[in-house]
Amino acid sequence: MTERALSHALEEAFIRCRDLEAPLADRLQAFTNEVRRLRPDFAATVDALVGRLADINAGATAPKVGEPMPGFVLPDEHGRLVKLDDLLGEGPVAIAFHRGHWCPYCRINIDALARAEAEIAAEHRHIAAIVPDRQRFAAWLKSDAKAPFPVLTDMDNGYAISLGLAIWVGDKVKPMMIGSGSGPSVSQGNDNWMLPIPATFVVGTDGIVRARFVDPDYRMRMAIDDMLAALRSAN
Amino acid sequence: MEMHQIRYFLAVSETLNLTKAAERCNVAQPSLTRALKALETELGGELIRRERALSHLTELGQRMLPMLRQCYETALTAKMVAASIRKGGAASLSVAISQIVALRPFTPKLRELSRAFPGLQLRLLRGSVREVAEYLKSGAAELAIAGPLAEAWSRFDSFPLFEERFDLVVSRTHRLARQNSAEFKELASETLLIHTGCEMVEELNARLEANGIRDAAAHQVATREDLLALLRANLGVAIIPVGAMETNDLQRIPLKSLNLVRRVLAYTVAGRPRAVACATLLNMLRAADWDLESATEPERAHR
Repeated sequence: MTERALSHALEEAFIRCRDLEAPLADRLQAFTNEVRRLRPDFAATVDALVGRLADINAGATAPKVGEPMPGFVLPDEHGRLVKLDDLLGEGPVAIAFHRGHWCPYCRINIDALARAEAEIAAEHRHIAAIVPDRQRFAAWLKSDAKAPFPVLTDMDNGYAISLGLAIWVGDKVKPMMIGSGSGPSVSQGNDNWMLPIPATFVVGTDGIVRARFVDPDYRMRMAIDDMLAALRSAN
Repeated sequence: MEMHQIRYFLAVSETLNLTKAAERCNVAQPSLTRALKALETELGGELIRRERALSHLTELGQRMLPMLRQCYETALTAKMVAASIRKGGAASLSVAISQIVALRPFTPKLRELSRAFPGLQLRLLRGSVREVAEYLKSGAAELAIAGPLAEAWSRFDSFPLFEERFDLVVSRTHRLARQNSAEFKELASETLLIHTGCEMVEELNARLEANGIRDAAAHQVATREDLLALLRANLGVAIIPVGAMETNDLQRIPLKSLNLVRRVLAYTVAGRPRAVACATLLNMLRAADWDLESATEPERAHR
């Protein structure tokens, strides 16, 4: 298959998986399987990186259940500054880190979160996404999934690094991303090749973490049901 | 990666000695070694070659050093912001802006900043590019917004924000005011208004000369206000960046084959800790979507 045909096949697979009427984990798994089938070389390289990250428990020191979530002041997709405390003033919040607008797993995840937000907004429970992408790309990610919640820009992954949630893409994965045109340099506005671990934290109005999901395998995300249950039981 | 791992690595890069690095970081050497090992596992290679008393950085270590140093500073700033918003208290911020950069695109950012940091005290400085560079160096300004600073000081960090096109600007009553575009040869008989503080005055002069405008009559001005006043009084014409000024009562005309753009950048001094308001403003400026006119769908690709 040529590069072009391959990228077309992946795009088709992505749309099919995103639009599956199935739980988030199944949709992500379906796309993972497609990548394994269409790009076994890429999947193997990613597995090696994920394996190394798992070996050292990457992300494990991020705020745990019962610990306070450190505050932030980050611009949203319109350039408005959003503070964690402002969000908590409206009720418990799920803070969901995402890797970027170019990441199909994040797009599937945001799509699922957008549907979930519709369910819980009336209960004064909310979601906020954080990406290292700049505003224009954050806005695109938001409109792509018609997400009603803010998509905040964490410039240079500063907040993510301070939480122990950033990883370096590395010399093996980097050329593969460049080859397929999905490098994060333009959208992040730097050449660091750092990405956040796409973790999710459910934070109560007192600023304490009520539930968290941290997996250095970016193909795994917090189950929507778990997130909703934690948001509903938080106050 | 974790902040303490980066901190240990930076200490080793400075001391080139594991014992000294551990002392500096206030940890036992085995803890330091363990943390470095984890960082090396994550990055997929050795960062440090341990040789008796003297350790040194491997090629990967050398390559990662500037990025890790920057990551550490960025994360420290994020922590400082978190601490400061919990604590409250008034923040302050001093920004130097070069003469020929308009404040207007930045006022929404400043408004947001003062909303997020109640009691924020702003100090805006104006000056030529040389003065702006001095304000930064001396610490009078924490952040500068200017076209390319002529002086290359190795300690300036620069962040490109947006580009502005240069156009011909004339009074509404000027004979060229009704034209859709103008050519260089039409300027031969005009008096040019030259803003001496403009970052690109030399570049502009070179373009004029290259297009046959030599020894043109010229008035020199040092401030935007004076430039605009002379333009309005029809005392000359100016070639200035689009968006640089409030020119509602003046006429802008594209100058054929000028093709001159200037980049507006934010500058800070490397290694100087940024206060919370400064760091937040810089992040806002860098994250902002300045290219509103040509906003298109970002490239898509799938893994």
